Amino acid sequence: MVPTLRRRSSRPNASEHWKLSLAQNTPLLLSLLILGGLTLLYIVLFYDQLHRLPGVFEWTSIVNTAMPTALVAVGQAVVVLTRGIDLSVGGVVDVSNSLAATHMHSSLGSMIGWSLIVLLFGAVAGAINGALVAYARLQPILVTLATLSILQGIAIRILPEPGGSIPTTYSNVLANPTGPWGLLAVAGIAFLWFVFRRISLGVRIYALGNDEQAARAIGLPVRRVKVATYTLSGLLGSAGGLFLAATTTAGDATTGDAFILTSIVAVVLGGVSFLGGRGTALGAVAGAFILTILVNVLFFAGIDPLYQSFFEGIFLFVAVLLGATVGWLLRRSYQS
Amino acid sequence: MTRLRATSLPRLERASEVITPDRRRIVIAFAAAILIFVIGAVLHHGFASHGSIEAILTVASFVGLVAAGQSFVILVGGIDLSVPWVLTGAAVLFATSSLGHNDRAVPAILIALGLGLGIGLINGIGVAYLAVPAVVMTVAMNGVMQGLTLGVSKGLTCSSCASSAPPNVQSAFDSRHLGIPSSLLLWLAVTLIVGFVLSMTTFGRMIYATGQNPRAAYLSGVRVKAVTVALYMLSGLFAALAGIALVAYGGQPSLGMGDPYLFQSIAAAVIGGLSILGGRGHYFGTVAGAITLVALISLLQAEHMPEYGRSIIYGVTILVILLLFGRKEHVA
Repeated sequence: MVPTLRRRSSRPNASEHWKLSLAQNTPLLLSLLILGGLTLLYIVLFYDQLHRLPGVFEWTSIVNTAMPTALVAVGQAVVVLTRGIDLSVGGVVDVSNSLAATHMHSSLGSMIGWSLIVLLFGAVAGAINGALVAYARLQPILVTLATLSILQGIAIRILPEPGGSIPTTYSNVLANPTGPWGLLAVAGIAFLWFVFRRISLGVRIYALGNDEQAARAIGLPVRRVKVATYTLSGLLGSAGGLFLAATTTAGDATTGDAFILTSIVAVVLGGVSFLGGRGTALGAVAGAFILTILVNVLFFAGIDPLYQSFFEGIFLFVAVLLGATVGWLLRRSYQS
Repeated sequence: MTRLRATSLPRLERASEVITPDRRRIVIAFAAAILIFVIGAVLHHGFASHGSIEAILTVASFVGLVAAGQSFVILVGGIDLSVPWVLTGAAVLFATSSLGHNDRAVPAILIALGLGLGIGLINGIGVAYLAVPAVVMTVAMNGVMQGLTLGVSKGLTCSSCASSAPPNVQSAFDSRHLGIPSSLLLWLAVTLIVGFVLSMTTFGRMIYATGQNPRAAYLSGVRVKAVTVALYMLSGLFAALAGIALVAYGGQPSLGMGDPYLFQSIAAAVIGGLSILGGRGHYFGTVAGAITLVALISLLQAEHMPEYGRSIIYGVTILVILLLFGRKEHVA
């Protein structure tokens, strides 16, 4: 007993501190490693097929494809951090996409105005989810299942058939085809997350996810934090919908549905724990990029697209097991 | 270590103990189903006719079969999101392995059910022994099954993919006994068996014990992990059974045929009073939930409600039911 007590009372020495911080950030590091490995594999396969390195066009297309998923996944990650889940993100993306495609004109005022309206809609939809979870004490998975259906209905009402259009200027700003400018948005997310972790809301969300009872006991406004959590998810979901509209330059009231699963998978691949309280937005972004590059790797590896979801499923399973194993090994080496 | 036994429970003595909250939920769910039929009968002549009720119950039976497996898993606080493509995969496997020949019907059914059991086994091992979260494990499995089904059948364009269910299976499914269609008799049998297992057997007690508190269940001698694996196997089995039933009913499998059954099976269980956290509820409630859900969808279709309206009302109804009955106990 004595050694443990001493260790707790004194500050950990440099090597222990390093080990501890490594153990804490293992999931993120692991997903960045997977991302790096996959990117390398992609470059090798690409070179093997086309005898040149992937150029600006390829990287731009990867970034633009990954961005909507990345944004939605960050919102999903915030909810998962509080041990919740948000299935309604698919519906939020549907509505955002439909609204933008049917209403936005090429004037500056219209583009900014409708972007704000769409973002506001997402935030309100999220706040309703949050209120139902926090104040009506309903299970997140059931609430968001029901609101998903409602949002899907609204989206079909707005845009009954795929179509509409997005102003070219808008597409060029959000999903510029000439370069991977979306990476600037990733940098923006990273910066905002850095700030978010240091403001009270961020700290509270982590506290809530780690131990809800303890958070309540020390007087955190648990219900308000939950509403804020789902509001953020709705807001980021609608931002994802706007990016999607900009990338596809047209609207479809059902394309958002795919984001339910991809956002969850991205969150898992990004090392955000479903037990709450562990994970980062950067992980979720990395997860979204992993998914996008994986599709490209499978393509260049000559794998029949019909088998795509098979390999995605296997990959998800292996990645989760790998994360669990590495975390377990590190914890064991720290304890011994 | 004493094993849990059904007989070791205290005997119910007072009337107030007979009508437990869980049982009240089952009664309410059935009342909701009847209410929808009454509303339908008022709005539409013939909505509550014999033929219409039979058609609605037949559609509900497929939801009910899938929801049987989903209920087992939900009772221990899990969830099975691999249902859509296990159902579709089993349906395709049943059709392609039978090739529409009568003498191949039995092995084809066994192979398809075996597929469901096998997938459930892997799901269960992942969740129980490898501690993969149920959502992640079953989402991954759904992807694996989707890829395998699409890939192996070449997008349902393979030479044997055009084959339909063996005629003897189809006619057996269409036949009637005592005036009741076989599909409903199958559901009735499943309901009785699942109800018996949940209420009258040691295994049923183990399920509830695990769902209420896995640690306490483990300490009282329940092999929690083995029970969990068995329940995921049952979920795979029932999804496969629903796939076979749908092929027998419709003649041929189609890609994406399992998609509606994911949310509907969960919704049926929740309307029927199962707690998504596990340990509460009964399959009888799920049966009522499946009937309520399908009756509601049929009523909205009969009202010529456009798709968007159906989708919105569907969501609002689930929310209202949740608000009325699905709230967690208040935490101080």
